[in-house]
Amino acid sequence: MQLAKVAIHTKSTLEYLSRELIFLAQSGQPYRGTIYVHFQSCGETFNLLDFKKYITSLRDKTFNAEDIAYEIFNVISQSIQTEDLGVKVDLTARGGIQQRISYGSDFPVIEKENIFQVR
Amino acid sequence: MDSQNYKEKRTQEVTQLGSEHTEYKYEYDPTLLETFENVHPQMDYWVTLNADEFSSLCPKTNQPDFGTLIINYIPNIKMVESKSLKLYLFSFLNSGEFHEDVVNKIGKDLVALMEPKYLEVIGLFYPRGNISIHPAFFYSNEEPKYKEIQKYRFLNRNLNPQRIG
Repeated sequence: MQLAKVAIHTKSTLEYLSRELIFLAQSGQPYRGTIYVHFQSCGETFNLLDFKKYITSLRDKTFNAEDIAYEIFNVISQSIQTEDLGVKVDLTARGGIQQRISYGSDFPVIEKENIFQVR
Repeated sequence: MDSQNYKEKRTQEVTQLGSEHTEYKYEYDPTLLETFENVHPQMDYWVTLNADEFSSLCPKTNQPDFGTLIINYIPNIKMVESKSLKLYLFSFLNSGEFHEDVVNKIGKDLVALMEPKYLEVIGLFYPRGNISIHPAFFYSNEEPKYKEIQKYRFLNRNLNPQRIG
């Protein structure tokens, strides 16, 4: 999927977070996770509506859990030019095991609270 | 009941738990729910089930919705088996339901399945358009003791959603 470009100033550090990732494991079991995206702009970012549609489109796609960060990284890097792009995905536990998968540049994950949500 | 009999009884009661070939359904299917027998029916005790990964679709826009479901109940004779509950909740994945309908539907399905002494379902859905919706379903059987609990919980719903962290 190609994400539409949006022109912005260069050198802004951009971080995106979504707790609404769902995709299917090879077994068919839905996997839930949180996506973190981080990069420095080279004069463009992606259209947020497109990004939302892309995340939603993963809902009925099957992946190895370990490949999900690469998949998202790949779509972003094929859509826009960035510097230091990194993608992390925190998956909820399966069989008592939690997974965090990273692809690209490393960055510290900062959780932003959703003030509306009882946790 | 000795441990051998107990094990055999539990093995016969549920089919999905421990199955090596689990079939996941993505359209609403209440037949996935299974029960096992409460061997302490003389006791009143709470069972809390937290489901953090609930997701369904908006029936109008097809946009995905997400939320946590909290199910608290006081069992009578039957208890819901948690793997079957997981599969049942996953079956909402491609079902179009409003939040309020989801919570009532799940509550009614669980009441029909278990006939519990008391049951409540609370939905804590992620915000859409800056508004988060938290519907709650309350049920009790006809015994005055549980009717009293239902009344109390209904009036005090927002004081304590009984989430186990």
